[in-house]
Amino acid sequence: MRHLTLLGFLALAAILVAVPLASSNEYELRLFMLFLIYGIIAVGLNVLVGLTGLVSLGQAGLFALGSYTGAILATRAGFDMISASLVAALVAGLFGVLLAYPTVRVRGVYLAVVTIAFGLIVENVAIEWQSLTGGTTGITSIPSPNVFGMRLSGYAFYCVLAVFLFLATAAAHNLKVSRYGRAMRAVSQSEIAARALGVDATGLRTLAFVAAAVTAGLAGTFYAFLNSYISPDIFTFSDSVRFLLMVILGGAASTFGPVLGAYILTYLPEYLQEFAVWQKFAYGALLLVVMFVMPRGIMGSLAYGLKRLRPAPRAVAACEGLPADGTLRREAREQKSELVARDLTVRFGGLTALNKASLRVKPGEVHALIGPNGAGKSTFVNTISGFYQPTEGAFELDGIQLAGKRSHEIARVGLSRTFQNTELFSDMSVLENVMVGYQQRLGYGLVSALLRTSDMRRQESECRRAAIGLLTFVGLEDYANEEARFLPFGLQRRLEIARALAARPRLLLLDEPAAGLTTQEIDELEVMIRRIAALGVSVLLIEHHVELIMAVADTVTVLDYGQVIASDTPSVVQDDPRVIEAYFGTSLDHAKAEA
Amino acid sequence: MTTVVQYLLSGLAIGGIYALVALGFHIMWSSAKAVNFAHGDTLMIGGLLAVYLLAAGLPLGLACLVAILAGGLFGLVLERVAVRPFLGQQGSVGWMLTTIAVGIMVESFATIQTQGYARPLPSPGIASSVHILGAGVYPQELVIPLVALIAMFGLRALQRHTLVGRAMRAVAHNKNAAALMGINVNFVVAFSFALAGLLGAAAGVLVAPVVQASAAMGVLPGLKGFAVAIIGGITSAPGVVITGLAYGVMEKFVEGYISTAAREIIGFSLMILTLLVFPQGLFGKREVMKV
Repeated sequence: MRHLTLLGFLALAAILVAVPLASSNEYELRLFMLFLIYGIIAVGLNVLVGLTGLVSLGQAGLFALGSYTGAILATRAGFDMISASLVAALVAGLFGVLLAYPTVRVRGVYLAVVTIAFGLIVENVAIEWQSLTGGTTGITSIPSPNVFGMRLSGYAFYCVLAVFLFLATAAAHNLKVSRYGRAMRAVSQSEIAARALGVDATGLRTLAFVAAAVTAGLAGTFYAFLNSYISPDIFTFSDSVRFLLMVILGGAASTFGPVLGAYILTYLPEYLQEFAVWQKFAYGALLLVVMFVMPRGIMGSLAYGLKRLRPAPRAVAACEGLPADGTLRREAREQKSELVARDLTVRFGGLTALNKASLRVKPGEVHALIGPNGAGKSTFVNTISGFYQPTEGAFELDGIQLAGKRSHEIARVGLSRTFQNTELFSDMSVLENVMVGYQQRLGYGLVSALLRTSDMRRQESECRRAAIGLLTFVGLEDYANEEARFLPFGLQRRLEIARALAARPRLLLLDEPAAGLTTQEIDELEVMIRRIAALGVSVLLIEHHVELIMAVADTVTVLDYGQVIASDTPSVVQDDPRVIEAYFGTSLDHAKAEA
Repeated sequence: MTTVVQYLLSGLAIGGIYALVALGFHIMWSSAKAVNFAHGDTLMIGGLLAVYLLAAGLPLGLACLVAILAGGLFGLVLERVAVRPFLGQQGSVGWMLTTIAVGIMVESFATIQTQGYARPLPSPGIASSVHILGAGVYPQELVIPLVALIAMFGLRALQRHTLVGRAMRAVAHNKNAAALMGINVNFVVAFSFALAGLLGAAAGVLVAPVVQASAAMGVLPGLKGFAVAIIGGITSAPGVVITGLAYGVMEKFVEGYISTAAREIIGFSLMILTLLVFPQGLFGKREVMKV
């Protein structure tokens, strides 16, 4: 796959070099340049659609915003093309933050609506603000393309566009294979699990939209210079749909798909001329057909076919991995791993799910939390992992106050969890799942990711090796390249544990890890929990399976009706009359007296 | 004073349309956690079809009734064809794009059929205007907000007193639990989309006499209906209806005192501002993330 990508970039470079040599006239070259501009937009939009699974229907608005910004800077302030386009990209990016941040933290679906509305706002502002935008007549007399005062020939302008498209494609590809791209895909597949691993879902979605906005802004300025005239009616909702279609048709999330899609949809109208009025209808029909016949798009389908013809080996060599105990070890001075919850109360409306529950997980112990159904176990777990906010009370991990923090912040302090109903990133490989868990330990920034610096590659390779080590730790190295959703249930549970461990937790929270496992698998789980605790990670185990609890727990805490009714060693708790009453409805003595 | 009353009354009329559209979004979202992005087009289907059926010789009442039923059918078919196949998937790209695609097709087809012209829909509601405190309005315009309120209370009655209505509430609350209780979730979702389609087409039939029916008549109300659903809180039926009426009134005042372009700019900016301050909308409930 990696060789193919490299080959693809070489082919793209070759085409970009060859086309101007082969084009016979100005018109042909101009049309190709239009494709390059659309390609830049599509490549950026692909980051949003392909990686985060969100949809923007306002790219034409951002494109227009970039166009107007660039044109105004060039005509009024004498900016050259490159500086104007960079400022336009910046402005579009700022609007991207303004639009995306409030929207994506609520519901991804809203983004489509907000972006459509934004397109309308841009159009109206362009019409209304006549002194700046020239109203409906638009902006004429945009100077010919120039860089640092030098006028660019048609071919030089072409070169600038070709270089930008090439760089944008490479940057988007680098982003995709970096920790950012991986986390974006994780968020799109299970937001809950991603948050629980310390991934800031809102931040990443905003970043993805900004990437799409910046490229649209950049392309807008180029368009203004290419056309030398812009007006509000050039940027329509149909264009937004067309940009989206480029990504979907070419193949969302693929590296070259958007470029291919942009190419097809730049030239298609040339052939659709005779359809005239039916052109818009054809776009709709094409989108519908692609969604049903080829939802992966052209490049996505090709890659899928290739993968089926020549599947990658499922296993990775365990010797590649870093030993898990090294991955999990923290420095001695921070090795405390103590969770203290004080008087936690959680109310849902009139229902008190947790009532002044206090609990202390001592450093390095396996602490079991049990209780009848509805006792408040899940509420407790979801509260200390930040998914619910406590009504009253506080909790801390190694002295760091956590109440009021959001789940990804809590995860970053050192609390990892698994889920009662497994929450895997189902379309990602087993190995990638674990690598997402390692996410917060990767230190490289966005610039390193885009440039694929040696530091970034070194950290990525370390992440990969640590992930392989953890897979070996849970015995999944033979499934590393399998997609997570194809794993049998028991192995999915193990993968969740490996993924949670990759974050190097101080406290590992296992939410009913034995549910649905066979007896033999439960025995293996028991061994695994002991090994994890031996590495200095405290374990909080929520479980129904009594034998497992008796075998591994150092301390057992019992919840009933939201209150802690006992907390002691397993053998003491086992004989506690209140515990017996909670489970069997009547105390043993009482039962004996009646008998 | 007259101007204020005028803006208020015309605002309530257009606001009633937004309220009906937003109510449709609320109904669809509640049952399916998905919506029909071509919902604005049900408005157009209702309005235009009524015009065509009337021209074909049907009496007005019957033409309107058939047009409204056609809107319901459109919602039903769209749910089955474009939404349901994608509901099981992660993310929302699937049903969003398919419904958008159908919307584009329907709208461009209508544009071709009407050749881009707007058609009037005669109605006794616009035969003569009435004067209230000096402001002139058509009776038709006064009826629209009333219909929106009736739809809101009707929906509540449906959800309280009928089996299918209670099933809708159950599905909105927890789809899996509802299925385990023997509720046919697919049927409930389909019913919801059809109901939303009926309301959308009814809005189209109601507004067509006032603004004329055209291929593009549903675009802005569709978009603003969703904006209203976001502002009011898509989980609350009374919330979106009240917000819809208020949004219409706000629009008329901005339009009257500033400009038409400012109307869209201010309206949509309000939507984004609301998202920032009240992520769940003004009346919406926070959906607890099920873990």
